Amino acid sequence: MSSSVLHTEKLCKTFSSGGLQQHVIKNLDLEIRKGDFTIIMGASGSGKSTLLYALSGMDKPTLGKVFFGDEDISGYTNDQLAVFRRKHCGFVFQSIYLLENMSVFDNVMTGALAVQKNSPELVKKAETLLKKVGMGEDSWKKYPNQLSGGECQRVGIVRAVINDPQILFADEPTGSLNSASSRDVLDIFTELHSKGQSIVMVTHDTRTALRGNRVIFLSDGAVVGEHEMPPYGTDDARARRDGLQAFLDQMGW
Amino acid sequence: MEKIFRLSLANIRKHKLEAAALVLLVALCMLLLGSTLGTMAATRTIFPQILEHTQGMENFILIQEKNYDPEFKHIIEEDERIEEVQTAEMLYSMSSNYLDREGKEQALYLAFITEFNNNRIQKTELDTTLSEAELAAIEHPITMPYTMHDTMGYRAGDPFDVIIGTRKYSFTIAGFYDTLILDQVSSGVKMIVSDEDYHLLSAVMPNYVCIGYNDHRGQGGETLFFDLLEKMEDYSNLDVKNGIRGMVYEDLEIGVTFMLQMVMKLLIAMAVIIILAVAIMIRFRITGDIRDQIVHIGVLEALGYTSGEITLSYVIEYLLIALAGVILGTAGSFLLIPALFHVFEMISEHRGTAVISVLPVLLGGLAILAFVALIAFIRARMVRNYPPVRAFRKGQGDHRFGKEHFPLRNTKHNVHLRMALKGFVENWRQNLGLTVCILISSTAVIFSFIIFSFFTGNMNAIAASAGVEMSDLCITLMPSADAYAFSEELTALPEVRKATPTANENLMVTAADYNEPMFPISFKDFSVTENIFPASGRFPEHDNEIMVTNMFARHFHLKNGDTLTLEHLKVQKKYIITGFVTSSTNGGINLYITEEGLQRLIPTYRPDGVEVYLEDGADPAEFRYTLTQKYGRSLSDTAGSAAEGVSCEERIRAEAEQQIAEMMANYGVTHAEYAIRYGDKVISGDSSGFQIVSIQNLNDILQTQLAGMSSAIEMLSTLFAVLAAVVITVILFILMEATIRRQRKEFGIMKGMGYTSRELMVQLAMRIMPAALIAVILGTVIGVAATGLLTSYIGRIGVNMPLVILADILILAYCFGCAYLGARKIKKISVHELMTE
Ligand SMILES: Nc1ncnc2c1ncn2[C@@H]1O[C@H](COP(=O)(O)OP(=O)(O)O)[C@@H](O)[C@H]1O
Ligand SMILES: [Mg+2]
Repeated sequence: MSSSVLHTEKLCKTFSSGGLQQHVIKNLDLEIRKGDFTIIMGASGSGKSTLLYALSGMDKPTLGKVFFGDEDISGYTNDQLAVFRRKHCGFVFQSIYLLENMSVFDNVMTGALAVQKNSPELVKKAETLLKKVGMGEDSWKKYPNQLSGGECQRVGIVRAVINDPQILFADEPTGSLNSASSRDVLDIFTELHSKGQSIVMVTHDTRTALRGNRVIFLSDGAVVGEHEMPPYGTDDARARRDGLQAFLDQMGW
Repeated sequence: MEKIFRLSLANIRKHKLEAAALVLLVALCMLLLGSTLGTMAATRTIFPQILEHTQGMENFILIQEKNYDPEFKHIIEEDERIEEVQTAEMLYSMSSNYLDREGKEQALYLAFITEFNNNRIQKTELDTTLSEAELAAIEHPITMPYTMHDTMGYRAGDPFDVIIGTRKYSFTIAGFYDTLILDQVSSGVKMIVSDEDYHLLSAVMPNYVCIGYNDHRGQGGETLFFDLLEKMEDYSNLDVKNGIRGMVYEDLEIGVTFMLQMVMKLLIAMAVIIILAVAIMIRFRITGDIRDQIVHIGVLEALGYTSGEITLSYVIEYLLIALAGVILGTAGSFLLIPALFHVFEMISEHRGTAVISVLPVLLGGLAILAFVALIAFIRARMVRNYPPVRAFRKGQGDHRFGKEHFPLRNTKHNVHLRMALKGFVENWRQNLGLTVCILISSTAVIFSFIIFSFFTGNMNAIAASAGVEMSDLCITLMPSADAYAFSEELTALPEVRKATPTANENLMVTAADYNEPMFPISFKDFSVTENIFPASGRFPEHDNEIMVTNMFARHFHLKNGDTLTLEHLKVQKKYIITGFVTSSTNGGINLYITEEGLQRLIPTYRPDGVEVYLEDGADPAEFRYTLTQKYGRSLSDTAGSAAEGVSCEERIRAEAEQQIAEMMANYGVTHAEYAIRYGDKVISGDSSGFQIVSIQNLNDILQTQLAGMSSAIEMLSTLFAVLAAVVITVILFILMEATIRRQRKEFGIMKGMGYTSRELMVQLAMRIMPAALIAVILGTVIGVAATGLLTSYIGRIGVNMPLVILADILILAYCFGCAYLGARKIKKISVHELMTE
């Protein structure tokens, strides 16, 4: 469809604990294309999160390379990776990880100010984004422990996209939310994707996976299958679901 | 109980490093406190021991021999406050020098006395390592106060050369003895010499009579002293106060013990600073620990531990730590006490009995333990606020209300700075403790820095606040010399920049209304002075105007325009005060008066001193020598030299000069000339070579006087600075570790958002900077103010503000550096580890 933003060459990630080596990712070659809403699925413990962190520069690969465009980020130091992340990536986590000691608005600004200088436009942008995800002005001065899980995650998404990242990474963003909140949050992702945002999302929930246009199935640290779909909402919902289900059945889901 | 004990031990084991740091600090504190308290009793033996050794007079008056009348002794005896009176002849000079081991001339106030005379005023116990035979073999024996042995390092048998005028007198040290007066290098030392040597020196040094009296261990005090002076003056009508030196019991005791007590107070102050820092750290640690282990605490509570028991476990934890420190410190104290006592002996320039007092040390240790227990208890009681359910929910549920500090939407410049400020305000309680800690440390550093730079810095700082003229050389002229003519003669010399006639320092008048002695500092025109400035008002110009010192004005509530009655030999005159001078010398009893003004009170007054200012680059020591050669001849120089002359002409000249010297010394001749025909030659000369009595090199004198003090102060201020640095380092490291442990998750998230470790470290370090800044500013203010407290003892201390500010910046940089390095554990937080937990 379009050019790649990210690709890996023989990516390996090995953990050693108690003398035992565990190869979580094995010689993985993967390409993430620009504009895609890529879903990574797989059984629990199959290495989805590990892959996501390696792709996003949260963690360094044990062997192999990760390219962002032409830039090889696999040899970066921790601080170089941090700078890389703030320039190019956005993150949404399952356990949300808002800063407990900061207000809603400051949580968003903390993300923004890591990259850019403060300006009236930036504040305006934060306000607009927060309103867009349904966080009204009265909530801005609240602290995370005064919000529901769904509200927190919406703040988390705003924080992740405030810098217009080239890729938005999400690790089971709805994992800890009830179904109504989940739907609201996923709608935000769909909306972002429709505007051209590249997204890589880890999930083990079929309904969540439907939102993507490309599903990668991971098993034992290797890509064992791939499934493509048209963008969400542009095709027949039932056919889409059946198609995905068929793919997943084939993968042994 | 055992369970609780186990909890405490487990906690200590978990934070070994921090526990070790606390043990170290407590040990340091105990070391300072213990060794000081342990030597206290021994230091109290120092002064009594001098009295015991000397068993003689306890108050002394040194009167110039020409002003002395044998009847004085009876006058004093008649006073009912007096127990006993003795008199002794003595030589005393404030312009004498000695040769140090490198052969360099050093200023030293010297007094000489014969053993016979010394025995009149005190017991003389010779302390020597030499045998009878060795002693008998010494040609010019000299016996010195103990300080020459203990602080200057001389030993029996060493040579010792004294310089009076241009002549060197060589002695060999016979031994040492204890004396109550003229016992310190800073104020002058009394040497016992043989009768022959005394006789020789008496021709070249001012002759004094030392009156010693007992007044029931100082009960008469200064009042008695001044009463006696009045009585003597009434009787003799002589200017007895001219050149007088008085040393009453109280002053002698203070002279021995003052520095010592100061140092002991400073050491105890340091111990207190450290224990306060320890207290603050314990508070950090307990707060952090409780937050850390809140779930654990919840479990314990659910298991049936009471909050009291958990509190107790913390108290025991810190008691154990403190106990370890106290034991270490106490052991160290007992090792240190002998050395410290020796330092105290050196500071007092006397000896005492090294008795170690155990009880105060143990009480000090107990006080530290009690204090630590109290601090731990007060803080650990916060466990009560967390019943199990609340603990399980990590203490949450306390919603935040109130103001949000430093919202990021208003960020102007640097996001890190703003976040640091946010962190600072949110942790203000912790920062309050930190502020106090840094405040105390920086006060200590700034205070000692000021003192240090004052004592080790150049003399200009001292000169500026001395309130007296600080020329290069200060000449006292023979009564026959004309100060104006002499000054003109000197000014013509290439080395001399300026020469100003003045009153030499022997003169004393009385402020009649207050019965206070005053030392006149007199110039024809004060605008020629270089170190005397009116702090307010103006210089005296007319013969009824004077200035006094600020200290004097404060003490007697004098304002500009007030009148002061001065008295000299029963003559009283009124003067108007036109200005005030800041003066750190002579206890503030300097009087600034014009020549005409002084003549109004003392009609016979003529300037008898000259302040000589040299050109840059001229060597005062060398020039002093030249001057002495040319104008400073006296009987002593001529005595016997006639026989030594090589040529006949030299012998004739020497004989003539000896005659002149004798005439001047014995018959009050002021001017003489001679012309002698020898073969076809005429040998002529005059008395112009006999104009100078003495020359003081003020810089040298100050240096000698401050030398002992400044090495002690140097040592102390270094100790202060090191301790402050240790305290700051340890506290910042502990604080940073605690903060990172508590906010580990937040830092992980921030890292995930793309903040680098370095940025976060800077941010964390910046968080403490407002506290540090406030602390350092306050510390500077307090430190500077504290030096003011010393004014009455060592004079006003000039504060070099730019240097102090530089020191402040260094302290701040040091704090930042420590905090930054202390925050290095942020590097270890891995985003990934956090996300998968
Ligand atoms: N930091 C780590 N240290 C050791 N093992 C790890 C670490 N992170 C993940 N693993 C292991 O790697 C495997 C894959 O984990 P993960 O990527 O979290 O799986 P998923 O997200 O697919 O559930 C798991 O078996 C997990 O135990
Ligand atoms: Mg996972």
